[in-house]
Amino acid sequence: MSKPIHSYTLMRDQLAIVIPARNEAPTVAAVVARVRAASAAQVIVVNDSSTDDTAAQARSAGATVLTLPVQLGAWGATQTGLRFAIRHGARAVLTMDADGQHHADAIATLLATQETTQADLVIGSAPERLSRPKRIARLYFRLIAGLEVRDFTSGFRLYSARAARLLCFRHATLFDYQDLGVLMLLKNYGLRVVEAKVSMSERNHGMSRVFSSWAHVARYMLLTTLVCMARAGRARRPA
Amino acid sequence: MNGVQITSLSIGLILAATIIYLLRRDHLHGPYALWWLSMAVVTALVGAFPGAIDWIANALDIGYPPALAFVLAIALMLVKMLTMDIERTRQELLLRRLAQRLAMLDEEIKERNRGE
Repeated sequence: MSKPIHSYTLMRDQLAIVIPARNEAPTVAAVVARVRAASAAQVIVVNDSSTDDTAAQARSAGATVLTLPVQLGAWGATQTGLRFAIRHGARAVLTMDADGQHHADAIATLLATQETTQADLVIGSAPERLSRPKRIARLYFRLIAGLEVRDFTSGFRLYSARAARLLCFRHATLFDYQDLGVLMLLKNYGLRVVEAKVSMSERNHGMSRVFSSWAHVARYMLLTTLVCMARAGRARRPA
Repeated sequence: MNGVQITSLSIGLILAATIIYLLRRDHLHGPYALWWLSMAVVTALVGAFPGAIDWIANALDIGYPPALAFVLAIALMLVKMLTMDIERTRQELLLRRLAQRLAMLDEEIKERNRGE
């Protein structure tokens, strides 16, 4: 009996789970193992040019590993995973962080929410966890972009194939962060975004890269305001 | 030929010669080469005939002719910098897409080899 050329046929019409990871060797294997225990989906770890053995750890835990030759950041890595999953026919793509703050048992919550709402993007959100600067940022973005999403920085998301395909294109490649640019793009194309409340852990190690210092926050707010300016009011025909 | 003219002509010619040298060494290509070649010609001409600036400024009723040279130079630099950043953005997009594609193809080749 001939083996299929590659195991990605498993992804066809199924859920794929994308985990962007940069230097997450201490946690990535456990995260992949928990996800695999909770779901039959193919797990794709996108190794964002790590300098530790993130790739080997992820592979040993049973994930498919894509290794970026240059560091593209969280969104660049996530988009790589989306492209790969869509290329191999995935029906939906779930993304989660490699540091263990998102729980594998909450995957079912996101899937159930998509089932009932038929939304193109379900964001796993823990709004009570939002820090003060994030709350202020959220109010500000609601004002300038009209976005109702509460936990806009959450990387725990379930994209429909339609949303994922839209985000694979070149026009989504130059986003520096996965949040506002992505959300506004989907909004402009008339796709529906809902939030599902989930519990999250404190990060096992490390901390939010964006909200780590006031200088970072300022840079983030400026760049994201620019994204809003570039995208606001650019309604498109539904894709 | 007076002192001023000799100074401006040598500056113009040195700039023009440097640019043409870089062009011939393939350090500048395509549209950049064209832009810098034009700049080489302009610097050489202005160097040879600095009076031309005065003449044009007078024709345009500009009281202080060097201002015309400065304004034109700054405006051209701004345009050049803007087009450079546009080009950089295009290259960044290309680089990111290529890196993503490389990561995908790399894994697909490895998987194919594992399957055999």
